[in-house]
Amino acid sequence: MADEMNITDYLAKGGRLTNPANVPPRYRAELMKIMATFVDSELAGAAGFADVINAGPGIKERIAAARIVLEKTDNADRVLRLMGEFGANTDRYANHHPWADRLPRDTAPGSHRSTHDMRLSVMNYPLEGWADAVVMNFCMGLGVCVQLREMTKVSYQPLSEAIREILPTEQRHAELAEEGLERLLAQGNGPAITAALTYWHPRVAAIFGDVGADRMAQLQGWGLRDLTGPELRALWQDQLGHGLARLGLTFQAA
Amino acid sequence: MARFHPLTVQQVRKTIRDAVEVTFAQPDGSDFQFIQGQYLTFRRDFDGVELRRSYSICSAADGGPLQVGIKRVEGGAFSTWANDNLEPGMVLEAMPPMGSFHTPLDPAAARNYLGFAGGSGITPVLSIIRTVLAGEPKSQFTLVYANRGVNTIMFREELEDLKNTYMGRFSVIHVLEQDAQEIDLFQGRVDAEKCAALFEHWVDIASVDTAFICGPEPMMLTIAEALRANGLTNTQIKFELFASSQPGRLKQKANAKGDAAVGAQVTQATVTMDGTARSFEMGKDISILDAALQNALDAPFACKAGVCSTCKCKVLEGEVEMLANHALEDYEVAQGYVLSCQSYPVTDTVVVDYDQ
Ligand SMILES: Cc1cc2nc3c(=O)[nH]c(=O)nc-3n(C[C@H](O)[C@H](O)[C@H](O)COP(=O)(O)OP(=O)(O)OC[C@H]3O[C@@H](n4cnc5c(N)ncnc54)[C@H](O)[C@@H]3O)c2cc1C
Repeated sequence: MADEMNITDYLAKGGRLTNPANVPPRYRAELMKIMATFVDSELAGAAGFADVINAGPGIKERIAAARIVLEKTDNADRVLRLMGEFGANTDRYANHHPWADRLPRDTAPGSHRSTHDMRLSVMNYPLEGWADAVVMNFCMGLGVCVQLREMTKVSYQPLSEAIREILPTEQRHAELAEEGLERLLAQGNGPAITAALTYWHPRVAAIFGDVGADRMAQLQGWGLRDLTGPELRALWQDQLGHGLARLGLTFQAA
Repeated sequence: MARFHPLTVQQVRKTIRDAVEVTFAQPDGSDFQFIQGQYLTFRRDFDGVELRRSYSICSAADGGPLQVGIKRVEGGAFSTWANDNLEPGMVLEAMPPMGSFHTPLDPAAARNYLGFAGGSGITPVLSIIRTVLAGEPKSQFTLVYANRGVNTIMFREELEDLKNTYMGRFSVIHVLEQDAQEIDLFQGRVDAEKCAALFEHWVDIASVDTAFICGPEPMMLTIAEALRANGLTNTQIKFELFASSQPGRLKQKANAKGDAAVGAQVTQATVTMDGTARSFEMGKDISILDAALQNALDAPFACKAGVCSTCKCKVLEGEVEMLANHALEDYEVAQGYVLSCQSYPVTDTVVVDYDQ
């Protein structure tokens, strides 16, 4: 057993990197993309939800929405600080982009607004009122948790640890959405919820994209990915099915 | 962005022939407050090339002096310089402490910690041991410490002193490659077999709350695997890796400025990524990043605004103009790094590399 070992071999054998000095250039680039995707999605999500706070039908709902905005921004900040250790300009980053901007509501699922931010495509669609926002938060909340569980496995230890701390708050956001849906259902908003599910389901499904086999193999070798897009999507569909069943909702994806 | 602050060397002490313990004078303010297990990053100019090197703090995080231990690496620029030249009164530039090689302290907790260190990997583990034993009076710590031979054990006396101070709460198992010891177990390398033997006779692995590992890559892999096989989860295993992907004494880059032709409207660009070079013609009015993307290269980027540094690459030949740079530091630019989203070709040929 030699002391010297190539970092690629080390990673392929399940080793973890612990600080920016360890990180080779191509790994750094892929890691930065993963972190930017998370940060941009949280910032865009929080910015979009901020507009909905006042649409909350009661004080409880507004508190829940405000809390979600606060905590998603806080989660973005945690990961942005890690990007800062690699040289990203964290002050400018938070302001370089109009995070609240959205595409027209009827844009097809899976569309990217611009190439200037890395937000997940679902974050490009505008929310339409309270019930719509709660449904989006429910579907996407479960989707986020599937993705974050995947990210707790990444080989960059500071990121996997940050995500482990972030995961419970995101889980709570999905629970808040489920509680919100219960209340909406009790108030007779079934049709609005079904309409919103029809709108958001394909848009959330589109975030579990597939990358080419070669790239996936490289990312897996570096310990930056484990499951494929379709595998993650299946996990999300499963979670969503259970959630809808708890609410007594049936929904047939198109 | 990184900010450097001065640190004045107060004392330099040889711990073994090839390592020094450096103590710094108490800095003003709170810039250098640290958590056990964190590291400092120093910068120094070597013949016009700035090198940055990280060294873990080895002292306790309870208000004591700021100390690091630097082991000489054969042929290594910074470590050799530090071992040969550091003297009291000299001023080094360092970034505030960073790193997450620690778990939160709880004075009321009665935890069982296990540490593995190889060679100079002892430094952050020593800081953790010192801090935990003082700050968690009911916790225990077992250290497995691997070295070539007796005379390469950094901080051997300090560890003995800790054993005496914290009688019954701290134990050290030395594993030496060369010097034969009374018990076979302690000789050789920390491999799977040795881990199994350790866990059978010396360490009650079932009671371990957290394990800290810092050493060469193969040793870290072997130990982590053994720990997982014995029921520890990934959250219970903390790594610190010293490996540096930054090149050492940098070769001065060939400077193509001045000689290269600049007349044409188009540039012959060569882009290397993932070990493959691709050449194509591009306009001088489009960024290196966009040209790479248009030519079906999966070049990395995120913000496209010169802020995040994801698209960083190195210019090997030719010259580019970087319109905005909010992320790279001067020393990186001096080494030829650019943000490809902000860089437009100036010369008629440009060669860039995303792999460096
Ligand atoms: C978070 C962290 C904490 C650390 N903590 C400590 C610590 O507490 N104590 C400690 O001693 N170390 C520590 N290190 C390691 C330390 O940062 C340095 O990597 C180490 O001291 C070697 O640096 P150097 O400048 O002396 O060697 P370098 O100049 O980087 O050389 C390293 C090796 O590469 C070879 N080399 C140099 N240039 C080239 C070249 N152009 N081509 C090929 N080979 C070359 C050299 O011969 C040498 O063998 C830590 C590292 C990290 C990332």
